[in-house]
Order: sequence, then C-alpha cells, then structure tokens
Amino acid sequence: MASESVRGAWFPPGSSRKVEATVARTANGDLVVVAGQAVLARAAPSEIEFSARVGSIPRRLAFPNGSLFETADNDGIDRLSGSAGAVHELERFRPRLFVFAAIVVGLCFLIYRFAVPTMVELAVAITPPVVPQLMSQGALASLDETLLAQSELPEARQTAIREGFNQLAGLSPRGADGYVLHFRKGGSIGPNAFALPDGSIVLTDELVTLAPGQDAVLGVLAHEIGHVEREHSLRQLYRAAGIAALIMLIGGDIGSGAEDILVQGSALVGLSYSRSQEAEADRSSVELMLKAGRDPAAIVGFLEIVRDRLEKTQGSDFFSTHPATQQRIEAVKTYAEELAKR
Amino acid sequence: MATAQPWGRAAEPVSSDPPPSPGTSVEPFVFTGTTREYFGIWIVNILLTIVTLGIYSAWAKVRRLRYFYGNTHLAGSSFDYHAKPVQILIGRIIVLVVLLVYNVILNVAPPAAIVLVPLFVLATPWFIMRGLRFNARVTSFRNVRFDFHGGYGGAFRAYVLGGIVAWLSLGILAPFASRWMWRYMLVNTTYGGRPVASDPALRKLYGQWLLPAVILMATVVVLGLSALALGNALYAVYQDVRAGGNDADAIVVAILQVLTTSLLPFIVVLAVVTLIYRAGTRNVALNATVVDGRHRFRSAIHRGRFTWITVTNLLATVFSLGLARPWAAIRMSRFLAAATALEVSGSLDDYLSDLKDTGSAVGAEYMDVEGFDFGF
Repeated sequence: MASESVRGAWFPPGSSRKVEATVARTANGDLVVVAGQAVLARAAPSEIEFSARVGSIPRRLAFPNGSLFETADNDGIDRLSGSAGAVHELERFRPRLFVFAAIVVGLCFLIYRFAVPTMVELAVAITPPVVPQLMSQGALASLDETLLAQSELPEARQTAIREGFNQLAGLSPRGADGYVLHFRKGGSIGPNAFALPDGSIVLTDELVTLAPGQDAVLGVLAHEIGHVEREHSLRQLYRAAGIAALIMLIGGDIGSGAEDILVQGSALVGLSYSRSQEAEADRSSVELMLKAGRDPAAIVGFLEIVRDRLEKTQGSDFFSTHPATQQRIEAVKTYAEELAKR
Repeated sequence: MATAQPWGRAAEPVSSDPPPSPGTSVEPFVFTGTTREYFGIWIVNILLTIVTLGIYSAWAKVRRLRYFYGNTHLAGSSFDYHAKPVQILIGRIIVLVVLLVYNVILNVAPPAAIVLVPLFVLATPWFIMRGLRFNARVTSFRNVRFDFHGGYGGAFRAYVLGGIVAWLSLGILAPFASRWMWRYMLVNTTYGGRPVASDPALRKLYGQWLLPAVILMATVVVLGLSALALGNALYAVYQDVRAGGNDADAIVVAILQVLTTSLLPFIVVLAVVTLIYRAGTRNVALNATVVDGRHRFRSAIHRGRFTWITVTNLLATVFSLGLARPWAAIRMSRFLAAATALEVSGSLDDYLSDLKDTGSAVGAEYMDVEGFDFGF
C-alpha cells in the first residue's frame, strides 16, 4: 500500500522513548508511521505539522495525537510533503550566494549612505518643537547643578555682548525671539560656548576673558546660532540611535565582540560627522557676521588662541570633535574672502 | 599566541573525574553544522531582513537557532528549537518600544533618571528570568521539553548583586558571582520534569580564578611601571609649567599618552583573562552538574584554545567585513560540543514532557538586545 517509505524514529506523545519506524503515504493520501506490523500514528498531511527544512538538521513531523516522527532523510520528507520550502531553496550553497553577499554589502552601504540620512531628516521634520524645549531645559538645569555657576562677568560687558548677540539673532531665520543667551561661569569646562536645540546658548566667562575682543566672542556666538539653525544636536541624536538600531537588527548573528566593535566604531565615525557639523557652523558664522556688517572672519581671533594653546597636542586630528584648529582657521579665512568677492 | 601551549595545564582534566561506573556510557556532544550550509542560511537571513525592513529578523533568528540546535547531537538524537517567529517578532517589538521610550524620557527629562535607572536595573533580573524560562520551554531533546523554574530573587542575586560584588572587590570575589550565576541557570532547569543538580565548589572556581588573576596582576605591575616612567615625564612638564616655560595643555597631552599606552593594553588583557576565566568556570560548573540524579556532565574546554578561537574568530570577522562570521560561529560550536559530554547512566527513554505555555518572548528578546549570552 505504501508508495515510498522514509526511515526514522518515532516518539509517543510527550515521551522520550525512541522507536525505530518508517513513514509512508497510503493509497488515500494519509501519512502513516509503521514499526514492523504496528501502526503507530496516522493522519492526513494537512493535519501534520512539518518542521521547515533548515540545512540538513533532522526533520520533525508532529502528528495530531501529539506523537512525533523524526528523520534525517530531508529529501524523503520533501517528496512526501511535496516541497523543501522556498527559503531553503534560496539558502542552498550555490554560486548565487556570492551574488547575495555582494548585494548585502551593497545594501549596507546604501543604507548607511542614503537611508540613514533620509530617516534622520524625516525624524527631525516630524519632531514637535516641545521635544527640543524639554531636552534643553532638562540639560541646562542639570548642567547648572553640576558644572556651571553664576556668571561673574561685569554687567556692562554682558549688556554689550547681549546687544551684539541680539543683532545677530535678529538676522538669522529663527529671529531674535528664537534665542536666549545665558552667561555662566564655566568652572571645569573652562572657556566654552554651546548651543542647546531650543535656541538656548550658553557662554562661559572664561571664553569671554580669553577672546581677544568683542567681535571674536560674537563670531563664536554666530557659530552656535549656526548649530541651532541646522538642528545639529537633534540630527546627531537621531543618527546615533538609528545606527545602533540598525546594527542590532541587521547584525543578527555577527558575534557579541564584533557587535561591540561596530557600535564603538560608529561612535568614532560619529566624531567625524560632528566635525563636518563644526565646519558647517563655522561657515554660517562667517555668513551671519558679514550680514551684520562685522568682521566675517572674527571667529579666527578666538580659534588662533585655541590653536596656540593646543600647539603641542598631537593626534587631536583623530579624536577631537573639532577639526584640527589650523584647518578651521584657514577654511574660515578662505570662505570669508570668497564671500567678500561676491 | 601561536599555539595553545602557554596555558599548558589549563583544562580541567577529564581523567581526574572518577571513571564511569558500570551501566553508564560516556556520550559526547557532536556538532555537525558546516560553514558551507550555514553561510547560505546566514546570508539569506541578512538579505531578507534588509528587504523586509527588519521584520524577517524574527524568522531569521528561529532558522539560525534551529540550525544550531538541530546540529547538536547527543546519544544519537539532536536538540530542537520551537519558538514561533511571530512570538519572537512581538517580543522584539515590545523590547524595542520599551527601550525607545526609556531613552526618550532620559533625553527629554534627565531628572527622571533618578527613578528610571534604578527601576531599569531592578527590572533586568525579571527580564532575564522570563527569558531563561522562554528559552528552556522552546527547547526540546527527544520530543521532551526543558523548563525553567528560577525566581526573581535568584536572578537578582546572580545578575545584579553578583555583578556589583565582582566589580567592587576588583574581581577578588568573582568566583562567588560565577557560582550564583551558574547555579541559578542550572539548578532551576528541568528536563521532562526531572531536576538538574549543580554544586560548583568555590575552591575549584578559585582554582580557575588563579591564572587569570596572576596574569592581570602581572599586567598591572608592568603597565604601572611604564605609567610611572610617563609620570616622571609628566612631572617634568609640570615643573616646566610652574617655571612659566610651558602651558597647561602639555599636561593633557602627557595624560593622553598614559591612557593610550597603559589603558588600551589593559583593556585587551582584561578581555583575554575574562575569556580564560569564563572557560574555566564553565568546566567547573558543568563537571559539578548531574541531570535527574544520574547523568553527569563533563566539560573539558582547554582555556587557551577557547581564548585563541574566540580572539581569532573576532579578528577574522572584523577583517572580512563580517563575511567570515558563519565560519567563526560553526568553528566555536564545534569546539564547545567536542569538549562536552554526558555520562549517561541507564536509559534516556523514560522522560515525559510536561508541556507548558511558553509565555511571551519579551524576556528572551531583551536578553538578545542587551547582549546577554547564556549559550552553553
């Protein structure tokens, strides 16, 4: 009665007792498990759960009564069930697997080069303004508690800088209302200025003291305005999150060590990404200062001091988030001359 | 690190165990997966995951684990992995959403960290407990499922307290943490309702701790001396600064040099001794493990070989842009299986499954995402 039989082992429902058996198709289409003369299980193929074929691991046939037939004869089961499954066909070792590998490498490059930036732009576009506001308030509050202290800059000096700043902010697309300038004593973060995504810009006393003049300070503030205008901090946040998610998702099985290296590596690449943001903000400082009728290359005055202080620093080119200072100075000068010619 | 010779007496010698008593047979674990086969499964997994925007990753995980379980044989039968891809997908989505919300809140309202971070730490053992249970319940051998009965308290001690104790004691108390972890994992596991007993002796765990500790100490001394030499240079710079002939940033440069010449080698050595220690504790823990009161585990991983394979696997994967990963994964599984055996006493026929609902895959996916790896 059986057309073809496949040898394997049969287990009674829920039991580890192994019985040598064969499975075969009967005349009416049922599959029947037989050991010697005894029929151990019988069911229509539609009632049997066939495990999918993966490589050459043993195949399982779960019968409705809870018993199990197991066999290493994958081809035999494919003939009984009629197919090996489309995915298994793809996975078979054929030359086209190398084409798949090439496609995967290409896709990973495309995702990194195009899909990630597009997703970042999309996320920035749909982020409601309240998110950067909350982020900034929280960040400023915790910085005030930990690193920053009340400014000790003379009132007159603050007013002078604030006037210049309001002029610059008024000329930028967000307008003067889009910005708040905070004076703080930097303490351990020293001479510094940074922008928060809601338009709060923090300027430390130390930077004001270090800068050679009022215009150099304004050049730095124009640079920070550039960061806010281009929503750099949101972009960076989304980019880091997106890349981490992609590594987890696509990575699947690349091993925990390799995954760690990928994550750390993408942080390093993130550094170079923020370097390009710095260059962008430098250029926008030049543009804004020019518009305000001030020295477009004023930020150079500050950068030169930074350069002289870091003169002996080796390797800052690689690890720093700011492009090597000399390069920045030259880029700013060139761009200022370029704009002046127009 | 050319051969495994430097760590000559590394592995817990199997011969020191009592010879199998009559009626028992030593059944080795055998791994039959091949790079050729797995490469196809692996690359198709990645390709379909990308093409389906990540959704296939759940199916990919099931196929990958079925391949590794199904190729692991013991006494003529293989293991199997029964999780349903849809379960995995739902668990994965829940974990990603939870982690997303957690990170968004931390970014938007940093003060919330005071509540959220401790809450997260407290939730981790719960996730691990549920993850271990899920993984056990979807694993079968000879038609009979495993189960896991560990509670929250044990998971907290093994994975939170153990970590704190090991780090605060600079690794001196690490064997206590190892004992808690292995016991939590093994003692709470059942096969067909039958218990697993495991009692890795602290004395033996400390025996495995000794070599890594000595290597680490020697490294600290050598690197400390070189850092001291740099420190002298640092002092010279400092005096220069006081004399007004230099500026403060030179100190920063000198400190950076100390970090790159001392800290980086230290991290590498720390990673290597961690591998040596992990292999040693696996041997101790499994050799002290008895299934159903009669089947004894045997584990004889050569610590040097294990470290060598792990390190070269990583290098091969990195320098092949990931393409050597299938080879590396198969190589490791084959090595681990070959070093493991079960002393089977009597028959493996008499186990009955007490099949239970597997529950959700959230815990298992959390362990996946956060990189907990409890593979044997």
